[in-house]
Parts: sequence; structure tokens; C-alpha cells
Amino acid sequence: MIKRVFAFIDEDAKKEIRRNLLKAVAIPGYIVPFSSREMPVARGWGTGGLQISLSLLQEDDCIKVTDQGCDGSVNAVNIRDFITSVSGVKATVNTRDATIIQTRHRIPEHPLTEDQILVFQVPYPEVLTMVEPDMAKQKQIHADSDYSKLWVLLYEDTSQYGDSRISNRYPVEINSHYMMDPSPIPKYDIARLNNSPALQLFGAGREKRLYAIPPYTRVTPLKFNDRPFIVEDFKGKSCKRCGAEGIFLDEIHTTGSVHYFCSDTEFCDNKLKEAKDAIER
Amino acid sequence: MLLNVKELTKVYGQFCADCLLLTGVEQNTTICPRCKSVIAINRVNFSLKGNEVLGIVGESGSGKSTLLQLIYQDIKANSGQIIYNGLSTTQDTGFDLLDCTTTERSFLRNIEMSMIYQSPTLGLNYLFSAGGNVAEKIIGSGERRYKVIRERVIRLLKRLELPDSRVDDYPDAFSGGQQQRIQIAKALSSSPKLLLLDEPTTGLDLSVQAKLLDLIRELQQEMSFAMIVVSHDLGVINHLTDVTMVMKHGSLVEYGLTDQILEDPQHPYTQLLVSSIL
Amino acid sequence: MKLTVNHLAKQFTLHNRDGITVTGFSDVSFTVADGELLALTGPSGTGKSSILKAIYRTYLSSSGTIHLHRKDGSIVDLTTCCENSILELRKKEIGFVTQFLKILPRITALQSVASPLIERGEYEKNARETASQLLDSLNIREELFHLSPLTFSGGEQQRINIARGVIAPRDLLLLDEPTASLDEDSSNRVLDLLLELKEKGIAMIGIFHDKRKTERVADKVYTINREI
Repeated sequence: MIKRVFAFIDEDAKKEIRRNLLKAVAIPGYIVPFSSREMPVARGWGTGGLQISLSLLQEDDCIKVTDQGCDGSVNAVNIRDFITSVSGVKATVNTRDATIIQTRHRIPEHPLTEDQILVFQVPYPEVLTMVEPDMAKQKQIHADSDYSKLWVLLYEDTSQYGDSRISNRYPVEINSHYMMDPSPIPKYDIARLNNSPALQLFGAGREKRLYAIPPYTRVTPLKFNDRPFIVEDFKGKSCKRCGAEGIFLDEIHTTGSVHYFCSDTEFCDNKLKEAKDAIER
Repeated sequence: MLLNVKELTKVYGQFCADCLLLTGVEQNTTICPRCKSVIAINRVNFSLKGNEVLGIVGESGSGKSTLLQLIYQDIKANSGQIIYNGLSTTQDTGFDLLDCTTTERSFLRNIEMSMIYQSPTLGLNYLFSAGGNVAEKIIGSGERRYKVIRERVIRLLKRLELPDSRVDDYPDAFSGGQQQRIQIAKALSSSPKLLLLDEPTTGLDLSVQAKLLDLIRELQQEMSFAMIVVSHDLGVINHLTDVTMVMKHGSLVEYGLTDQILEDPQHPYTQLLVSSIL
Repeated sequence: MKLTVNHLAKQFTLHNRDGITVTGFSDVSFTVADGELLALTGPSGTGKSSILKAIYRTYLSSSGTIHLHRKDGSIVDLTTCCENSILELRKKEIGFVTQFLKILPRITALQSVASPLIERGEYEKNARETASQLLDSLNIREELFHLSPLTFSGGEQQRINIARGVIAPRDLLLLDEPTASLDEDSSNRVLDLLLELKEKGIAMIGIFHDKRKTERVADKVYTINREI
């Protein structure tokens, strides 16, 4: 009889991933290569995040998987079902209850705690690819912390368009050394990476790279000292469903009109539930 | 002295014990007969003062460009010393470039010294605009205020006689002479103490070349940086430099005031070189 | 004493002509004091210009010494001191007026004459003022001030050269036929200028092809004869 391993990945592979994660945590923002095993999910569909989640998972953990703020999307549901079926851990949609949160392109609205780990799925781990295609030179740039080329990109956007044209994957500096690709989260979430109590891990399965931001680490977006960092503006707009304001909203275009909804569905549901509970009380 | 170069040696190959003795001007070869190594630079010594302009002349393969690349840390020397005294913190002892870390190397190249290559394709990034290229060096020297960067970019490009309406154009939209001007603007943007020029005007037509040389001279007097100019054109050397070094087979043949080298050359090779002026 | 030249000799070795040697000059000794003008005379080919070049270090002397007595009391030997000191001295203490134009093309006459003053720290406006007065006194027409000297006649170029040499006079001035291609009037003006410099205490060594001119300005004469 074949004994099934806990959480799909064999212990040696998990050990390798954990060791690389330790290295990543020890050198905040530094990209660590890892072996990236075959997963029953196609590469590029969250296998980096999935491998990190599985290698960290213990029996008493509670997993939440979300895709652009939505726990109900096909990918999120499938990955969540896969994790629970191979490990038997509890799953939740509730940000507060989760110990490990695997996410694609968003940070949950509800503030995270020291007991939680946020795992990002990353398509392109290297922040320098757009300015320096040579991998050897990329390494040198990281080692020297000489990111003038990235700054030139910002300079050129500013002189030609008035501000950076980067809408997501906005380059961030970690702990005053490494520039890092924060995965395609919106600019709204960039500020929320800074000084987070939760451990934030990043995995790129197709690219075989992982990196980390330890808790309470300084994260600053690439910006000139005399220019503000402008995030998505939802002033005067609120969620059509729960009425929330001051959070990241999705813009839905229907014929002739534009509607706004919470990007984080769990946050929206919670808000509605709280309102309902208040009425009942 | 801003720069002290002592016994600098660069060897491609095995580097056996006899390499240095069996090559050079007297031996009339750069290839070691014993181990077949190429001795690109053979125990070269010289020094350079704060605002001095030094010329290096010699035929192709004499090692003049290699010498520049060794100073600029494009390549690493095998032995010897390159003592740089431009850093205020190391004024007493000097700083040996051969011992520098990569971080120190990029600091040196971003702030202390600049190189102007013969071909603008080596010195410019064609994915960035003209202004972006200049900005890269300013940012590299630590400036993080957009307004200051932008103003300095425009001022420098204007000083090099490029219209400010073209600041955001890409280098390949400029003529060869203009691209060289962009490269010079970029090199000067960090106000370096030492400017290295590798055949800066070779390949440009004569009128452009003359104007560019005048401009380099003017800028040198204005900003009083030290320069090392590598050229095989004695006219360029005469026009720009105070002191000249003649090189052959990786060795220093003769060193002297530029007018002395040109009018009263001592070494047979220098005499031959000077008598070959058209 | 400003300059003491002792047993100076120069031989050229032509390595590419089987190493033959040609004598430039030999056993030259003289002294020049502050405010004194020494004229070098002798037939052509005796090495008068070569001596000036040896003092200016364009030529490396073969033997002998050239001692320059500096204002601060120190003495340097121009035949052996390092290139950097020579450059420093050329900037501040030794000037050379050649018979040929040795200035940057593409720069206006006025700018070119004013630049030694500007380099010395004079305000640009004042320097230009002084330069135009000087050019005027040398009979250069004002319409030429803003043209490049390259387009000038030989005599005009010569005067630009002289103006450059004397506008911010160095303590020691070397003059190689400064009046060679000038007419009588301009030539006299140049000689007047030299007499003025002498009063200012400038030591000078000059070559004048004309005996009358030599007698007018020189305090002493050093004659070189061809040695056979």
C-alpha cells in the first residue's frame, strides 16, 4: 500500500523550499532560485505560491486562497480544493481565520497579523527585466544596489507623461537595498506592503524563483523625492453592494453606466453581514 | 597627484615568470616566446595631477585603450597599482583601484570618473532617450529630485549645443557627432574629477571633429577635471593635451610635455611616429 | 638674477637616419636679470631659436643647466625639473612669443588675447577692455577683433601673438623674432611695449633679426658663432 505524503510535496522537496525561504527571509527582497517541482497545475497558474503554501502547511493550519480579491474564482477554488484534499487542513474565506493566505494580485483588505503568512503568486520575479535583459548584469545591479536604470524609466515617464506609467508591478525598495517586483498588485496595495506584521512570501513557479519581505520591513516605492506617489483614486466612489469607501474598488462597465464594487469579496460579504447583524440586534 | 599608476601589468594567458622580461619595446613583441601569453600592458608607471591633460599615443595594439580600460575598471589588471587620490576620505593614503569591491567600482564610475568611448554605442543606452542617458549618470551619483535632474539634463545638453526640444528623443535619431555630444554630456553630468577619452573624435568628419575638440577643451578649462586622451591622431593630442605618453608593445616608450614629444622626440619609435605626420 | 644658463648644449640624435647626431648649439652660458633684455644674435642656423626652446623645455637639453630664480627665492633647473613643474611655470612665470601663430583657431582675436588675463582670474569684462586697448595700441583694426586670427595677414597674426604674450606678462618672456614680419610703425610699437615691460621688471630673452632694433631694446647681447 502506498502511503500518501502530507501536503502533496515529499519531505525532501519541502525541506529544500523551506531552506530557500529561510534564505529569502534572511536577505529581504533578494531573489532566491529554487527547484520548482512539477505540480498538478500548469506552470504559470500559481505553482510558485502553491509550492510555498504546501511546504509551510501543518495539520492545524487554516488556508485561504484568493484571486484578485475573490475567493470564488475558478483558480482560487481549485487551488483551495487541491490544498485541502492533499493535506486535510481547514479552509476558510475569512481573512481573520486564515493562518496562510495564498493570493494572486491583491492584498486582503482586512489588516493582517503577526500570526499570518501571506503568499503571493508571482508571474515575473525580476524587476529589472524591462531595463536590463542580461541576467548576469541584473545580478550585478542587485549586488551593487545601483538601480539608476530603473530610475531612468521613471525619469522618462515623468518627463514625457508627467508621472510613472506603471499601473501594477510597481518597483519597490526593500529595507533600503534590493529593488523588488511586488507581483502585479495595484499601487493601492504597495503602501500596505510596508511595515506589515505578517510575513510576506513570493513564489514564481515557472521562473523558479522565490523571495520574501519579513514582518515589519520598510518597503518604499520607486519615486523621486520631490514627486508624490499617486495611487488609484476612488474619491467619492463607494461599493454598490456594501457601501464601503476608501478601499480598492473594481470598476464594472455595463451599457451606459459604471459601477464600483469591492475588489475583496470577503471584505464586502463581511461588511454586509455586520450591517445585517446590527439591524437584527 | 590625482592618479598614480605603478608597475601596471595586464597579461592574457598563462603569465609565466619570464613574460615581462621577454616582451616589450626592446624585444619588439607583446607575445611571450616561452608561454605564448599576450602582454597587453607591461609594467607601466605614470602619474596625473588634478587638472592635467595627458595624451596617450601609439599604434594599434600598443595597449593604449587597454590602459584606459584598466583605469576605468572595465577589465582587471594582473599586477601593479592604480592609486586614486580623489576621494576626500582617503587623501593621505590613496585608494588602490585594483583592490576595490564592485560597489566601490560603481561608485567610482558613477561619481569620480567617466569614460567617453570611440563609439557612442558603447557609452549610450539606446533604449533610453538622450535625456534619460544623461539622467542615468546623475541618478547614479545619488540625486533623487526629479526637478534637479531634469534641469541639469537640459542644461548639459544645451551646453553641448543640442537643442532642448530634442531632450526626449532617442539616441538613434541623432547624427554621429550629436550622439558623441550626448555621450560627453552624460560623462560630465556627475562632475567627474577624471575624464577618460578613447579616440573621442575618430570617425567623425573633420569639421565636426574640430568643433567637438574645441568644446572638450573649453569644458576642461571650465570645469577643470583631469583628462586622459587616447588617440592615434597626433593632431588631436597636440590640440588637447599638456603631457604625452608614447606606447608601444604594451610598454611606455617616452613621456614628456606634448610640445617636447612632437618637436624633440627622443626615442627612435617616437621619432618615427612624429615623422609620419602627414 | 632671473635666469642663469650654464654650459648649455643640445644635440639631436636622429635614430631613423642611422643614429647620426646634429648639434643644435653647444656651451651656451649667459645670465639675465629682472628688467633686463638679453638679445641673442648670430648667423642663422646657430641655434638661437633652439636655445629659447630649450629654456621653454620644448627641447630637452643634452647637458648644462638652466637655473630659474623664482620670486619665492627658490631655484629650479629647467633642464631637469618634472613636467608638472614646467606646466606650472609656463602658466605663471615663463611666457613664449613665437614667430608663428600658436593659438586656437575658431576663437576670436579679442577672446584669444583676453584669455590669459581671464585665466589669471580677471573679470571677463575688464580683460576684454584691456585686450582691446592693447590690440588698439598695436594698430589692429577694431573690425578684426571679432574674427578668427586664422584669417589675418602674417603681420596681424604676429601682433595677436605678441599681445597674448604680453597682456598678462610672466616674469620671464622669451621672444622669437617678435618683429619679423611687421612694418616699421608696428615694429616700433612692439619695441615700445617691450621697453614698458622692462620697466615693470620683466626679464626677457629675444631674437631680433635687425641690428638697429636690437640696439634699441637690448641691455646686453649674446652672440653665438658657429663652431667648426
